[in-house]
Amino acid sequence: MTTYVLKTLWRHRTRTLLTVTGAAVAMFVFCFVGSVQEGLHRLTTGADADRSLIVFQESRFCPTSSRLPEDYARKIKAVPGVREVMPIQVWTNNCRASLDIIVFNGADPDQIRRTRPIKLTSGDWQTFSSRRDAAIVGRNVARRRGLKQGDQFSIGEISVKVTGIFESTVPAEENLIYTSLAFLQYTRGLDAAGLVTQHEVLLTEDADPDRVAAEIDAELRSGSVATRTRRKGAFQANTLSDLVDLIGLAHWLGYACVALVLSLVATTTVMSVQDRIKEYAVLQTIGVRPMRALRLVLAESTLLCVLGGSGGTLLALAVLGTGGFAIGAEGATISFQPSLGLAVTGVLVSLVVGVAAGIAPAVQAASVSIVTALRQA
Amino acid sequence: MTLVELRGVSKSFRKGDETITPLDHVDLSIARGEFVSLMGPSGTGKSTLLNLVSGIDRPDDGTIIVGGTEVTALSRSKLADWRAANLGYIFQTHNLIPVLTAYENVELPTLLLKLTSAQRRQRVELALEAVGLSDRADHYPRQLSGGQEQRVGIARAIVAHPQVVVADEPTGSLDAETSEQVQTLLQRLNKELEITLLMVTHDSDVAAIATRQLVLDHGKFLQRDAVVAAG
Repeated sequence: MTTYVLKTLWRHRTRTLLTVTGAAVAMFVFCFVGSVQEGLHRLTTGADADRSLIVFQESRFCPTSSRLPEDYARKIKAVPGVREVMPIQVWTNNCRASLDIIVFNGADPDQIRRTRPIKLTSGDWQTFSSRRDAAIVGRNVARRRGLKQGDQFSIGEISVKVTGIFESTVPAEENLIYTSLAFLQYTRGLDAAGLVTQHEVLLTEDADPDRVAAEIDAELRSGSVATRTRRKGAFQANTLSDLVDLIGLAHWLGYACVALVLSLVATTTVMSVQDRIKEYAVLQTIGVRPMRALRLVLAESTLLCVLGGSGGTLLALAVLGTGGFAIGAEGATISFQPSLGLAVTGVLVSLVVGVAAGIAPAVQAASVSIVTALRQA
Repeated sequence: MTLVELRGVSKSFRKGDETITPLDHVDLSIARGEFVSLMGPSGTGKSTLLNLVSGIDRPDDGTIIVGGTEVTALSRSKLADWRAANLGYIFQTHNLIPVLTAYENVELPTLLLKLTSAQRRQRVELALEAVGLSDRADHYPRQLSGGQEQRVGIARAIVAHPQVVVADEPTGSLDAETSEQVQTLLQRLNKELEITLLMVTHDSDVAAIATRQLVLDHGKFLQRDAVVAAG
């Protein structure tokens, strides 16, 4: 009976191909939208989203407008619950939403190595620490910009030597370029000697993030610049708030894609069954049970949907895996990464939609009046 | 020994405001190994009777027993199982599945039975051999002539070794020469393989190959001899 299903699909190759392609395109979009949502979710709920704090200048948004004294780090370090403080100078080529945002984070190389969840895939830490204009580049940026170790990379007033490429368990990290803090502070146009954009605060295991954040702001209130300290996840969600709204809206696009696949496969299967209603009557005459006829139609619609859906999902994962896509604003980025969860979701959605799309025509094939159908020309 | 038995079988249809009753309390017995032909004017219920015996239609009244099984009491699923094991159906227009080869078409009914693949292959090969189409096993219906398609249809009807084979105008769409070949084949199946056959036909020459000829008229059976004598 499997032969029958496969040959039936092959008989109408054009129709099958169009349906499979349609399902593939829709599932491609579904997975792409899904990866953006996953990226946002990872960014705002990841492991370090709640266990690190970002100290930023009060009432400022774009990294270029936040200018905190570097020596605030000493005061912050004295607050109970603070394990480590990393002053960071941030430079970005675009404060608005962009699909090709470049974000430099300047910090102490030893601290970067010790505290960031990154691993060099090429280059070495020694060169990065010793050379003033050295930069290590996140894998996504390297893919997007075609960078490799040894390249000179220039953007705006900044020109760095790529001394390494790194990967990270936190996908958003892979959209960053790290340099030494001093290099960025003295970059022409920034005039940030002794100043940083933000301080990243790592907490002790038992510290209450919100309490520590409040104490930091209270401690620094008497300083030259007022601060606002938030959990890293909340800081990034707030930074990307405009995008968050758009991404929230985009998930409806994902549902629309699923509805599109459902409608497409259901239409094809209904047409196919109506064309062959006499065949189903013949099959039942020779002894095929109604439930088996039902399963044959469901197999047909499911196969169409799973073929197309899996194809679209795989294509989306391949494109996401090689494209290094990210969207960002104000120095924060959302990485579009392929994931096992996305692959499983894509295939499962295809499977469920395939079954759902086949139900109505399957019932039609199973409950056909044999005598009436046999009389059809 | 009676294989097929119809007791008081009635069937009516609504056609607009009119009610047509092609079968009105019909009784019929067919012995095992018998070859019965059924004739009658159009609309007298010949095909309806065939469909009722096959279990693809249900009577309004009466019972039908085939090989000891009261088919009128079976559910739709049980009827399908019963047909797979006990009934072969030869269609007027052969109704082969166009995407399957002759071999695969004949194999279809055996897929519904509990057979090993070797048993299945043996049955299909024997059935194709019986209809003289072993050399056309890999051909698709579109690659066969009308007569060959009908012979594949006959092979499909006998491959499961059914108790009874029903044939609805099996030569109705064939030319004279091919029709003769099919008639000879049906006779051979009846005589050599002792298959019980119930055949509906319009053609009195075709009806004549059967061992018993019945005529359905106004919902009742007449022996053809009686009709001829009365005429």
